[in-house]
Amino acid sequence: MLTAHVTFAVGWLGAVAGFLALAVAGLTSQDAQLVRAAYLAMALTARFVIVPLSFAPLLTGPVLSLGTPWGLFRHYWILVKLLITILSTLILLVHMQPISHLARVAAEGPLSSAELRLQIQMVVAAAAALLALLVATGLAVYKPRGMTPYGWRRQQEQRRALQRIKQDEQREVTTV
Amino acid sequence: MSKLLLLRRATEEDTPMADPSPYSDANCDTADDTRVRADRGSPPSAPRWVKVFGIIALVLILLVVILHLTGNSLGGPMGHGMQLP
Repeated sequence: MLTAHVTFAVGWLGAVAGFLALAVAGLTSQDAQLVRAAYLAMALTARFVIVPLSFAPLLTGPVLSLGTPWGLFRHYWILVKLLITILSTLILLVHMQPISHLARVAAEGPLSSAELRLQIQMVVAAAAALLALLVATGLAVYKPRGMTPYGWRRQQEQRRALQRIKQDEQREVTTV
Repeated sequence: MSKLLLLRRATEEDTPMADPSPYSDANCDTADDTRVRADRGSPPSAPRWVKVFGIIALVLILLVVILHLTGNSLGGPMGHGMQLP
C-alpha cells in the first residue's frame, strides 16, 4: 500500500510538472502548431493521467494511515497533507472545464488573443499545483512534529492503560 | 501478558516510527516548535509550522475570494458558465 501511495503521489507530481511545461509552451511559443499541440496534449494528460493520479492518493493515503499507528487525525502533518490533496483535487476538477475549452479551440484552429487569460490561468494553476504537491511531498518525507489534541488524547489513554496493566502485573507478582 | 505486549507495542509504535526523534516525548511534542511545554493534563498547542501553514492558507483563500468578488479572477471570459464538451 505504501509503494502504491508513493507511486501515485510522485506520479501526480511528475504529471503536473509535464502539464506546466506544456502550459508554458502554449503561452509563450510563437509556433501556432506547437501551441495547438500543447493544449491538445494538456487536455489528454489532465483527463487520463492527472485526474486519476489525483484520486488515487486520496484513497491510498487514508487506508495507509488508518492501517498504521500514525492514524489519519493524530498528527498535523498527515492532516495538512490530506487537506492539500483534497484542495488540489478540487481545484484540478474546477480547471477541467477551461482545459477542455482550450483543447477544443486548439482543435479548431490557431488560438486567438481572447484565450490569453485562460492560457495564463493554466500556467498559474499548474505552478500552484506543483508547489502544493512539493509541499505535500516534503511533509511526507520530513514528518514535522506536532500531535493534534485528538492524537495526544489517544496516546495518553494508551499510556494510562499500559500503566494500569503494569501495576496489575506487579501486584500479581507480589501476591504470588 | 499478551494484552500488555499489544498495548506497549501500540504506544511505542505511536511515537518513533520512521524517525524516532520527533515523538520521543509526546508531552513536549511541540516544545521545539512553540517554545512552550504543554501541561501533563492538557494537549500541546499547535506547532509553529502548523500556524504558519494556516496563516498562508487563509491569506491565499482571502486573495482568491477578493479576486473573484472584484471580477479579476483568472477565470477569464469563460468563467463559471463554461460548458463541458
